[in-house]
Amino acid sequence: MTIIINVFGTEFSLKQPITLDLESPTLRDVLAALQRHHEGAWRSILKEDLSLQEGCVVLVNGRNIASLEKLETKIRDGDEITFTVLVAGG
Amino acid sequence: MKGICGKLLEIDLTSGKTKTLPVKKEHYEKYLGGRGLGIRLLYDMLPPKTDPLSPENLLFFLTGPLTGTYVTGSSKFVVVTKSPLTQGWCDSYSSGRISVELKKAGYDGLVIRGKSNQPCYLRMDGKGVEIRDAHFLWGKDSFETERMLREMEKDPNVGVSSIGPAGEKLVKIACINSDLYRQAGRGGVGAVMGSKNLKAIVVKGNKSVETFDRQAIVDLNRKNYQVALKSPVAQARMKFGTPLTLNVTHVGGILPTMNFRFGTWEKALEKIDSVGVYKSLKSHKACLSCFIHCSLVTEVSEGKYKGITLEGPEYETLGMFGSNQLIDCLPVIMQANILCDKLGIDTISAGNIIAFVMECFERELISSSQTEGLEIRFGDADASLAAVERMAMRQGFGDVLAEGVKSVAHYVGNGSERFAMHVKGLEFPAYEPRGAFGSGLSYAVSPRGACHRRAWPPAKEVLGGYPPYTIEGKAAMIKELYDENCVLHSLLVCDMPAKFIPMSLDVYSQYYHGASGESVSKEDFLKIADRIETLIRMFNNREGFTRKDDTLPYRTLNEPLPDGPAKGQSIGEENLNKMIDEYYALRGWDVSGTPTEATLRRHQL
Repeated sequence: MTIIINVFGTEFSLKQPITLDLESPTLRDVLAALQRHHEGAWRSILKEDLSLQEGCVVLVNGRNIASLEKLETKIRDGDEITFTVLVAGG
Repeated sequence: MKGICGKLLEIDLTSGKTKTLPVKKEHYEKYLGGRGLGIRLLYDMLPPKTDPLSPENLLFFLTGPLTGTYVTGSSKFVVVTKSPLTQGWCDSYSSGRISVELKKAGYDGLVIRGKSNQPCYLRMDGKGVEIRDAHFLWGKDSFETERMLREMEKDPNVGVSSIGPAGEKLVKIACINSDLYRQAGRGGVGAVMGSKNLKAIVVKGNKSVETFDRQAIVDLNRKNYQVALKSPVAQARMKFGTPLTLNVTHVGGILPTMNFRFGTWEKALEKIDSVGVYKSLKSHKACLSCFIHCSLVTEVSEGKYKGITLEGPEYETLGMFGSNQLIDCLPVIMQANILCDKLGIDTISAGNIIAFVMECFERELISSSQTEGLEIRFGDADASLAAVERMAMRQGFGDVLAEGVKSVAHYVGNGSERFAMHVKGLEFPAYEPRGAFGSGLSYAVSPRGACHRRAWPPAKEVLGGYPPYTIEGKAAMIKELYDENCVLHSLLVCDMPAKFIPMSLDVYSQYYHGASGESVSKEDFLKIADRIETLIRMFNNREGFTRKDDTLPYRTLNEPLPDGPAKGQSIGEENLNKMIDEYYALRGWDVSGTPTEATLRRHQL
């Protein structure tokens, strides 16, 4: 499966496709696979234990996982996962 | 009580007389300063139903109890008046050296009434104020005005606020400019200044602001600076500024696109988002008295607009002149930004109005025969820039645009009010409420009209854990956000350090003690905010506003969003009404939005 990764922080990357050898994974599975096998800007936000740096959140298809199923959120082929710092205002 | 001067300077431009207006200590205790003091004074001093552009309207420039101290983010001021755009309460915020200089001149602010019989500007220092002839400035843009005044003063550190030609011509979205790139943008405060024939205010103070415990403030700054250095949120903000917000609103499906028809725009990416703006970066800059240098100084390096440099563009301008008009060329947006700043109009309202006209052309509700040949279509950069100039100068069809989107919809007719994106006449800022229902409530109940500064719901509904497309808990969420921001806007500090370092109201309680010597807890601050918001409600009610004005455009309520994560969502009238009922109840207002007797007693109003 291929997922799309965005990272919005001091490190920044946009629309990075990552191919993962997973079937019907949860977000937890995806994050673990990212940590084990892939390099990317998300490492500035995602800690070794799969927790996030303070002030950072993960969105799946634009939705904060806290309003979905958190780390148990099901991830499908083509889903967009965004690691972002909290922004406010404009 | 330290940190305040305890008085305003009142200037009557009709008679030319000035006097000191003492402010009761009780007012600072019950309303703090800034927004809070502004509503207390406007409510007490402005006769009901005053025409906003008449000499009788009052124009306040107010500071807060932390202004002029070392508190980070404290060089803010607020312009308070009755808005010519909404006919209601208006508080418009800006950074600028004038805030600090006012305090150093010995005043917590200015109140300006009357109308000069000829163009004038105010020149104020520690000795007093002079009303000076401004014929030589009239007609000049606000950048030129500021440069000329600074040159005359031979002092780069004077505070200068001015209006451009739009303010002179009473354009109802006219802003007040300070330090070139900072605007009190919203609600037409520049038109009120222009209606008084007042072109500019120059202030140079000669005193220092006395604080209760200066060292405590310095120590808090040191501590919070260390926190900021370790905070990825603060670091990202300092690196990318507000354009980073565009990437988040696009992903979250709340980026206004094609006059708030869509919620995402892929073409914005790497062109007019944080990546695009970062490519044009020359340097970072901080406001006076702030260690969060979140302003980006940018420059166009090639092409038709080569050489344009500015502080910005900020997210709101990128959204309203970019995705909302389908313009993906950053130099064009920078040119629009600089035009708006120089001519003196609000980029949010201007971008919104132009996008509305673009949709009118697309739907063939208007033709170039009605617009003196100006055909404004989505994606047409030249037409957008031409519309800015005509609007700001009231040239031809620009005279219609200058009245605001609500008025333009009335001019166009044919059902166009269904997609005129405003509340109470103030144009929507750059957040699509169908993708975050709390934003809808926030816009609807905002006393100054569709406002992004009373609350920033995407922090909870896109980035926080609140489900975005439900109404449950949203009234409480909005009240909490409103009250927190009301405290910040009454202490008159920037929202940003509070959000990004982050610093809680407990921290501001400590800062406030350092400045004033007064002990006010977070809970006490929030009670004060509740009082302030209720008094603002009473002001608008007195001016004739009712619950019917707390509403949203047809599009937001009824048209499903066609794209993005919020695809299929619309807020619906019933949902909005439920949220409003809950919000009123939490404030202690009855179902019509009138504060109850018990609420008035609770707030000692």
